[in-house]
Formats: sequence, C-alpha cells, structure tokens
Amino acid sequence: MGEKVCVLGAGSTKYGKLNESIIEISLDASKDAIDSAGITPRDIKAGYISNVFGVTDRQVHMAPVIMSNLGIPDVPGLTIESACGSGSVMFREAYANVAAGFYDCVIALGVEKITHTGTAESTTLFSYCSDYFYEGGNGASFPGLFGSMARAYLATYKATEEDLAKIAVKNHENGFFNPKAHIRKKITVDDVLNSPVVASPLKLYDCCPFSDGASAVILCNEEFAKKSGKPYIEVIGSGRGASPAAVQSRKDITTIPSTVDAANQAYKMANLAPKDIDFVEVHDCFTIAELIDIEDLGFFPKGSGAQAIREGRTTLKGDIPVNPSGGLKSKGHPIGATGVGQVVEVFEQLTNKAGERTVKGAEIAMTHNFGATGASAAVHIFKKMN
Amino acid sequence: MSNVNLKKQSSREQFIEYAKTGKILINQCVKCNNLLLETMYYCNECFSNSFKQVSYTGTGKVVTFTIQSIAPEGFEDVNSYAWVVFKLDECRLNVSGFLPGISSPNDLPLGTPIKVIDFNDKHGLVLEKLKA
Repeated sequence: MGEKVCVLGAGSTKYGKLNESIIEISLDASKDAIDSAGITPRDIKAGYISNVFGVTDRQVHMAPVIMSNLGIPDVPGLTIESACGSGSVMFREAYANVAAGFYDCVIALGVEKITHTGTAESTTLFSYCSDYFYEGGNGASFPGLFGSMARAYLATYKATEEDLAKIAVKNHENGFFNPKAHIRKKITVDDVLNSPVVASPLKLYDCCPFSDGASAVILCNEEFAKKSGKPYIEVIGSGRGASPAAVQSRKDITTIPSTVDAANQAYKMANLAPKDIDFVEVHDCFTIAELIDIEDLGFFPKGSGAQAIREGRTTLKGDIPVNPSGGLKSKGHPIGATGVGQVVEVFEQLTNKAGERTVKGAEIAMTHNFGATGASAAVHIFKKMN
Repeated sequence: MSNVNLKKQSSREQFIEYAKTGKILINQCVKCNNLLLETMYYCNECFSNSFKQVSYTGTGKVVTFTIQSIAPEGFEDVNSYAWVVFKLDECRLNVSGFLPGISSPNDLPLGTPIKVIDFNDKHGLVLEKLKA
C-alpha cells in the first residue's frame, strides 16, 4: 500500500450551535490540529476539506479560502462532498495521497454550518442527500428514511423500541464526559420513549441533532511522524463501500452493504478481525443506525445486536465500547465534519487525551461513517504507536 | 404486465407518464431478463443497456414505512402521510411513494395492499391504501 500513513495531530471546535462563520470555525479546528502536531502551516503540502452545505453560509470553493487564511495560498486544496459521510470519504482520499507518496504531510478538515437555517430548512436540505426522485421528492425526510429502516428491523428481529432507547442512553452517558459534545446531558430510557415521535418508530431522542462544527487532523508519512518526536497513531486499515442510493433498491433493508464492504476491506488490510478492535466510533445518526452498524461491522451476528446492547457489551466498560465520544447522538453531527471528528476521538483516546471517557488499555480502534442511508461509507482502523 | 411503445421522452418522464395512470414502468434487460425500474440506464446484473419496456400494475404490499412530524419543503400542507416502501405484486421490485391519510402506524400494518394512483410535481408518486 505504499507509505505508512500516520495521524500526527488533531483538533476540533465544540459541536453545537456556533456563531462564527464556516471559514472561522474551519480555521479554529485547523489551528488546533497544527498546534497538536507541532508543525507549522509550511509543512502542509495539500489540504483536503469535506463539507456539504457551505453554500448556506455563502461559501463554496472552500479549500483555497482556508489555505489562504492559513498563510499557505500556494498549497493546493480540494473540497469533497459525500453527504453525512463526507468526512471519512475525504479522509480516505487524504490517506491515499500520502500513502501513494504524493505528499509527506497534509491537513484533512471537515466542517459544517447548518443550524442558522432552522429545523424546517435543514430538514429540506438534508432530504436532497437522498435519492430525491424516489425519497425526498415523495416526502421522506432523513429521520423518515431511518424510521422506515427501523420499522423493517424491528419487524424482522427480536428488538424493541426500548433497545433503541438504550443506545441513546449509552451515547449520552459517554458524551456527558466529552467537553466538546453538542448535548452533554444524561438521559433515561423513559426520557427517550416519552419524547415526541419524529418519524415513527423513531422519537426525538433516537435522533442526532443538527450541529455546526469543524474537526481537523494532520496526516503524514511514517518518516515525518518519527522525526516530529510527537505521539502519533498509524492508519493500518482503510476501506470504502457503496450501496444502492435508494432504500427501496436494497435486497435487505436491515443491513447497509457499503458498511460491510468497507469493513471487510479495512479488516483485510490490517490483517485483523472484529475481536481485535478495542473500541469503535460508528455512524449513529439515529439509534437504529448504531444497531445495524455493530452487526454490519462484524461485532455481533445479524439480529443479535439488541441482545448485546441489553447486556451492556457496547458501553465504555463492555467488551467492545461503541462511541466513547458520545457519537453523533450526543457529541453532535456537523455532517461535513463528523467523519473527521471520529478520527479526532481515536487520536485523543490513543494518545491519552480522552479524560473520563478513556477506554482503558485501548491500542486498536475503528472509525465508521456513512453518507445518507449508507449509499457511501468508509471504515478506518488505527493503531497506537509508542 | 404489458409491452409498451413510448414516444421520445427522458426515462423519468416516461416513468411519470405511466405512474399517472397507476402503472410502474419497468426495464426488462434483453440480455439477462433482469427487471429494473425505468430510471436505470444499465442492467445491474449483466451491464447491458438494451431493455424492453414493460408496464406493471402499480399494486403492491407495504414492506416498510414511516410517519413524520416534520416534512421536507412541499409537504407541509399534508397533515399526515406515510412514506412507504412497497413490493410490486407482479414482480420482485420495491418502489417507494407518498401515501396520504395515514396518521398512525396502526393504520398501516406491514403487508397492507396499496396501489399507485398518480404522480404529481408536488408529492411525487402518490399511493392509495386498498382494503385488505
């Protein structure tokens, strides 16, 4: 696979409702990542940016604007959009370019500003990420699409709305310890079950919030990382997958093929199996998504994820902690940033910066992030380096 | 199902024209007989793009659905509707559409028979619930 690729630094804004412009929050996260890596902008040879709705904050062609404001207008940048999976899909391209030897050091930055549009407009904008002719154009919102997946899952397997609620409770428990989380509030199963229905059978607390935020990481080759003298982690597995864009076209609505493919590629590249992963950050835009993810990623057999949740196996102290950051559900979901934010969490966990949400003894971690209802996905595996 | 002979239109225009009459237009791959919705340009089994167009009756059974409290733009005037994925009765394909008049999941058990009744600019593929 060419050069070994490492993550040398990471930074994030708080996720939530932010007042600064999309460019300012991009620069805040970039500065944190640059400082964390102990480099200067001059070390950066290319910029990779992920974003979906920059146009609502009056900025497209974002990469050159960000590069210019980092003081490196001569450094080429690229902006990538893959709906909610933009961050991980972009990270994969940044990874591939360092692995191929084109650059020894790049910045990968994900950013989103959406809360200023309000819930109604955000709902409409997100519906454009679906296969609009068959989904958004027929009245489906994103909660609706996942609601339809949840109904199919609950009708097929031994799982209940209470099991879904337990996923939300667990992620809020973790997010409570994340100072950058959008919603730092512990909740109960009853809170979830009694919250208003958003898209049946999903209720308000089954759904992640609309969030603003930016996250950035510095990727470099092994030689660059070693010379820095700073703690770093290595990318040891990388996979990309794709699914039929429309839910109606999937042979099985209770699984996401892109996740399965991307995970298999990443496991094969890392020469690892699910049992070797110490914790995972998964795409839990809705509670049903996390239930499907943990099965598709191979941690539990199909249809047994709910039982694993009931047994507490995905909590911070379980055998496979899922979303120690709080996940999209609690940490928040600035869609262009989310996939990068997961890498930030892994970096902080594996370099002893995760505080009270630390997964003790973790050395190998996975990130999983997808776009829309899983039409595009990327999975990465990371290893702690001494 | 019946064979059809269409004027020059885009694939979506053809799909819409048939949906307005309660039918779903399907592409049947000439090479491998795979069935695909009209809007597909290549067969996803053999990758041929030679199709015979066949119209199927737009009746089917509900596979899954949701009822939403906040709808995308253009659907605000609808007090309550379901977005539905349904399997066509005459072939293995699923299609999704807009089913007005559904306010509770109890109104629509999985497997409920439905049919296509229209396609309009505002709500897309419009469905109607049939008596079981």
